Amino acid sequence: MNPRTRQTLEFILDNLVWFMLVFVLVVFSILIPNYFQLGIFANIIEASSVLGVMSIGLALVIIAGHMDLSVESVAALSAMAVGILFCSSGIGLGIQLQPQWLMVPVSLLIALAVGGLIGVINGYLVVKVKMSAFIITLASYIWVRGLVLVISGGRSAQDLAPAIRWFAIQRLGGLPLTAWIAIACFIVFSLIMAKTPFGRHLVMIGGNETATFRAGIRVNRNLVIAFVLAGAIAGLAGWLLAIRTSGATANLGVGLLFNAFAAVVIGGVSLKGGVGTLPGVYAGVLLLSAINTAINLMGLPANFTQVIHGLLVLAAVLLDAFKQTIRQRLA
Amino acid sequence: MSEPLLVLDNVAKNYGAIEALKGISFSIGKGEVVALLGDNGAGKSTLVKIIAGGLEPTSGRMLFEGKEFLAKSPAEAKAAGIETVYQDLSLCTNVDVVANFFMGREITRKVLGIPVLDERAMEQVVQRALASAGTRIPSLRTNVEHLSGGQRQAIELNRFVHFGGKLVLLDEPFAALGVEQTRRGLDMIRQVASQGIGVVIITHIMQQAFQVADRIVVIRQGVVAGDVARNKTSPDAVINMITGETLAGAGPAN
Repeated sequence: MNPRTRQTLEFILDNLVWFMLVFVLVVFSILIPNYFQLGIFANIIEASSVLGVMSIGLALVIIAGHMDLSVESVAALSAMAVGILFCSSGIGLGIQLQPQWLMVPVSLLIALAVGGLIGVINGYLVVKVKMSAFIITLASYIWVRGLVLVISGGRSAQDLAPAIRWFAIQRLGGLPLTAWIAIACFIVFSLIMAKTPFGRHLVMIGGNETATFRAGIRVNRNLVIAFVLAGAIAGLAGWLLAIRTSGATANLGVGLLFNAFAAVVIGGVSLKGGVGTLPGVYAGVLLLSAINTAINLMGLPANFTQVIHGLLVLAAVLLDAFKQTIRQRLA
Repeated sequence: MSEPLLVLDNVAKNYGAIEALKGISFSIGKGEVVALLGDNGAGKSTLVKIIAGGLEPTSGRMLFEGKEFLAKSPAEAKAAGIETVYQDLSLCTNVDVVANFFMGREITRKVLGIPVLDERAMEQVVQRALASAGTRIPSLRTNVEHLSGGQRQAIELNRFVHFGGKLVLLDEPFAALGVEQTRRGLDMIRQVASQGIGVVIITHIMQQAFQVADRIVVIRQGVVAGDVARNKTSPDAVINMITGETLAGAGPAN
């Protein structure tokens, strides 16, 4: 095989999920009436912003060879914290800051801090106590959601301060600012993963933790940072969620974790760690969103979504195995 | 003997009630190649891990360049100038040759104050390092998982030759190499030593030890069973020390 074909093949394999996305969009555009509109495409991007942001954090930790099941609950807790402080009805305290715009950075910082704090706890337990990340974050998934119920008393907060809501309403190039935030996150974290020593080290830790330790990379420090980032990013997802729903309910975001997992796996991230890129994950998120939109447009019952997502995850895992065999042939 | 680079003084390591190392004392000079021999389970790898910062000794002390030394992590050992090539390969197979070569010490340039990987600079360095060692790897951008065992080991060997440091520990570095590559590896060791770098090589193959080492240290059941200059001993004598038939030449060589 000459180097050129090999390179082309490698390129296709590396970006397979993008080709799938394009393929699916083309097929839907042809087969489903009214699918091919700018508004629909904007909607696909818009609907995927919360899930997209959450998937970034999850992907970071999985690429580093670990796991974070707590992202969904963390997002809910951050959303609830923002909701309670800055909503004016329900259980909201309706805190007003002058000038109004000050509420934006303050609420954002609170959401990030809440997420980051739980990330610290997860990271510390995984790294220092050396327990399995799966168990630690499963516990966090449960107790953090419990905390949401406790602080909300099962009730909800509504009417988020307009200054914060502005992000969901204000549009730029046909997309709300919340969607741009998600896109910006993907760009920033893709660059971090691909271009900085920190990102490179996370990938290598996911590949062979012993080797990186022996090579003098501060594995524990990097892993804790990864967990903190995953938590903080989940906090950001919660902030976006609160903005989108203009408040917070006790069961906000339930089920997002599994969608995030699906997106990450479909995006080409291996659960074994060390494999996967963030642009791929974004394509995975968009793919899920594109399919949801198609289901809505066709008027199928929403319950079909879950069946299709499940099958997609299976397909993604099979595809991954298939890619491995092709790559072995290439080598 | 030249000026001692590393002195081990009664270094011991217990795993619970099991004494892996009962008290090891010997020294390595600058530019000296020491072959560390011993039967399976004699404690050679444990000793290497202690020097390299992967394990902490239970007792005893080490002097590195005349100063008290104890690496708490491989990062500290590396900072002090100790390079290690482990028996089981220490490569991340999910990234490419260049990333592995520079693992933990990537070349970066600042973009807006943020360190960014300088892939081109790193690739050039790797290309030169591998070319001068005569190692052929089709593409430096292929992931290591697609390379053969020999190619992988060549990456590790070239890595230590390139980064040098002051002391190099090699734990059975030639296990996966062919005849020609082994010969080249032994040449590399001599070349590294001639730059004044101390080398400790663990090997099972007597012939290799006699080809490359200045001094041969034998460990048996957690103690030094022999420490002799290469030109004052013979393979048969060394084998006897390893199996414990004689204790000839026991204790530190003076």
